Amino acid sequence: MTRQYEAVYIFDSALEEAAINERLERFHALLARPGAEAPQLAHWGKRTLAYPINKHETGYYVIAKLETSPDALPEFERAVKLEAGVLRFLVVVSEGAQPVPATVDKGDGEDDE
Amino acid sequence: MRRPQKTCSICESGVRVVDFKDERTLSRFLSERGKILPSRLSGTCARHQRQLSTAIKRARVLALLPYLKGHGG
Repeated sequence: MTRQYEAVYIFDSALEEAAINERLERFHALLARPGAEAPQLAHWGKRTLAYPINKHETGYYVIAKLETSPDALPEFERAVKLEAGVLRFLVVVSEGAQPVPATVDKGDGEDDE
Repeated sequence: MRRPQKTCSICESGVRVVDFKDERTLSRFLSERGKILPSRLSGTCARHQRQLSTAIKRARVLALLPYLKGHGG
């Protein structure tokens, strides 16, 4: 069984884009599951941090929408944590795809009552 | 004497789920010092106040929002 996750990475802004892409591919290879969709990436690029992290004032933000099984996560998180080029990361269950309540479909019928 | 009921600005904007990556919206619900405003002041409904609280805390972890504003540093 797979679930939808959302991961945000903050890379060291001194890294080049090619190095960042190489790391992203390495991380996402750990999550690859048969039948799961490929991660959708959004590069926010270089941004000023609200507070310094490890004496860095800026970071390179990447958002990834992932589909994977929960048992793949601990290994993935360990690999990301050990990577020195990542200042910080966060993985959350994605709320984007919420099931639509059944009542929405019956919207027309309710007016009659 | 009852004060007029404030309306939830998040409900009005038609947003169902508050996104932790939208720091511009989230910052409207912070005090001058960067604290989360109580719903008593901001008028948000209970459901969205709960979502806001989680979203702001996540945004702080990601350095999108400060933990403390105006701190000399």
